[in-house]
Amino acid sequence: MTSRLWNADSSFAATQKTPSLEYRTLGKTGLKVTTVSMGVMNCSDIAVVLRAFDLGINFYDTADCYMGGRNEEMVGKAFQGKRDKVYLQTKVHAHDEKRMQASVERSLRRLRTDYIDVLVWHGHNSTDEVSDREQFDFMEKMKKEGKIRFSGFSSHSRMAPLLREAANCGYHDVALVSYNFTHSKELKEAVAMAAKAGVGIVAMKTQAGGYTKEKMEGLNPHQAALKYILRDPNVAAAVPGVTAIEQIEECAAVMGTSVSQRDLRELKAYQAFLENRICTLCGGCTGECSYGVSYGDLLRAVMYHDGYRNDFLARETVNSSLSRQIWQRCSECSSCTAVCRRGLQIKEQIHFALTLYPHDA
Amino acid sequence: MRKKRFILCLCMGIAGVVFALEAGANPSLLPKEPPKGWILAEGPRVFTKVNLFEHINGQAELFFKYGFHRCTFAVYKDRNNPDRQIDLDIYDMGNVLQAFGIFSRFREEDRSMDIGLDSYLDDHSALFYQGKYYVALYATGPNPDVLKQLATRVSGSLSDSSPSPREISFFPKEGLKPGSIQYMSEGLLGHQFLKRGFQGTYVDGNKESKLFLAVFKSPEEAKTGLRAFRNYLSTKGKIVQEIPAGFGPNALRGKAPYQGDILVLQKASYLVGVASPEFGGKEEECLADFVNNVK
Repeated sequence: MTSRLWNADSSFAATQKTPSLEYRTLGKTGLKVTTVSMGVMNCSDIAVVLRAFDLGINFYDTADCYMGGRNEEMVGKAFQGKRDKVYLQTKVHAHDEKRMQASVERSLRRLRTDYIDVLVWHGHNSTDEVSDREQFDFMEKMKKEGKIRFSGFSSHSRMAPLLREAANCGYHDVALVSYNFTHSKELKEAVAMAAKAGVGIVAMKTQAGGYTKEKMEGLNPHQAALKYILRDPNVAAAVPGVTAIEQIEECAAVMGTSVSQRDLRELKAYQAFLENRICTLCGGCTGECSYGVSYGDLLRAVMYHDGYRNDFLARETVNSSLSRQIWQRCSECSSCTAVCRRGLQIKEQIHFALTLYPHDA
Repeated sequence: MRKKRFILCLCMGIAGVVFALEAGANPSLLPKEPPKGWILAEGPRVFTKVNLFEHINGQAELFFKYGFHRCTFAVYKDRNNPDRQIDLDIYDMGNVLQAFGIFSRFREEDRSMDIGLDSYLDDHSALFYQGKYYVALYATGPNPDVLKQLATRVSGSLSDSSPSPREISFFPKEGLKPGSIQYMSEGLLGHQFLKRGFQGTYVDGNKESKLFLAVFKSPEEAKTGLRAFRNYLSTKGKIVQEIPAGFGPNALRGKAPYQGDILVLQKASYLVGVASPEFGGKEEECLADFVNNVK
């Protein structure tokens, strides 16, 4: 097996311990996809994609616009000569037909293929978009021309009503939705409804800002987050957005692992642990501080520090977001009025952020 | 009639400015005048970390990894042919390093239009970074001339005069594939342990090699990074004991899965290295120049 980019022998990697692969059927497409698949969008190096392939992962999510098309090119390079062993999902934005057709053609060129397994509309926000007949007709045309095999939509917001609409209209083979342990029962039920109607559910944003192993007893939080979402049988695959070989190995290792009672206890503890720590940047608390402090940035800094262990980003966020005067206000304020609808302890988080980089404040 | 039209235009202008200010947009980032025959048709609108997904969907995550602050968005249209449109995004990335980083992830090759600190122009898009700003213009149809005109005007309205990241100058010029230097905010060479850093592609005949510069907080952290690299090579690749002369005791040589031959050494807070399918060309010479340039 040879990597075309580097002409490097990848047999080193192939001989490493491989995970037990676990497959599920992607709705009415009938495609047998690995439950842990890969979101390529933030990936910095083709080595990560090649490692995913060597681990047996067979479903890859990219998009026409990621990195101005370079992301699709990376995927195309990685799978040249291996196209029949993988399923590729990419995206198209709703425009006039000429532009959409041109977008599909560009994706085909970059992906070095003559067909796309799954083409999804990028970022639907309304039920009207989901049941748009013209968009459906375009996808049908692409299918008839053999350029795509299946179609669907992606969504980052209002996912429950969109999934219900998809279940009712029958226009979509696949839905790529943000779905993780922080989401509601309503979304879980909508996922079930869509899956029952034959819509293949692909979960993204599964990590929700995973936290450090040291914060829990024994459980790797990234793996826990994946396990949690894959426990839902209505999810065909998860596409965690990984950036490093170590991350995709960690994610792939989740496949085939059984969920023991101990795991369930730890997952519950993990969820409880995260419940008061993850800011989903919903914006619901914006403006609640009477002094106008931009504490959303502070909460994000905590997530970078605790969750991503990225001190650089955390420091940058803290340093660039608040003036010295606002720091002063926050640290001296004893009447924080900010309230999080998800139960995040905003005051505690702000105070923690204030202690992160005292020399910069 | 003319007076009525003037009042209407004035009201629309005031309303636009008020809307922009309310939305947090900074109209001064936009050029005072669009290219001749073009009008500002929409915006400026501002997107923050809370709603960037609404504007650029999942791609927002990549921008977050590069410290995104806010995006000012506007749409320009050809006065005579409204189908001809240019979308303008001015991303405030917080500092010049992150602006360069995101620029380097989007430009495809060296097609500079001499705007900002570095730039890229093709038929449909114009990209550049200048200070803490990364600017992207996308045209609905081929329109490089107007793209360049608009980009020039935007550049003139950006006030940050920070120089480009100094690490870019460390890369030796000879053999460097133009436009290939990138800054990765994490996962350099696809590894967590290398964290963030720069990489550039070098061409020697049909062979491409990469010079890379992993950036750590301190020499101690860089040494830890080197130990992690050694551990990775010993478990998943191969360590080669012979280190070429002149690279010192803090060097590591081996063969890595996917990257091929690797030679890397610690210097100050950096790991400086070369990766190539197979050594045998100018890799060592190139690395020596690179190491000398690292200050």
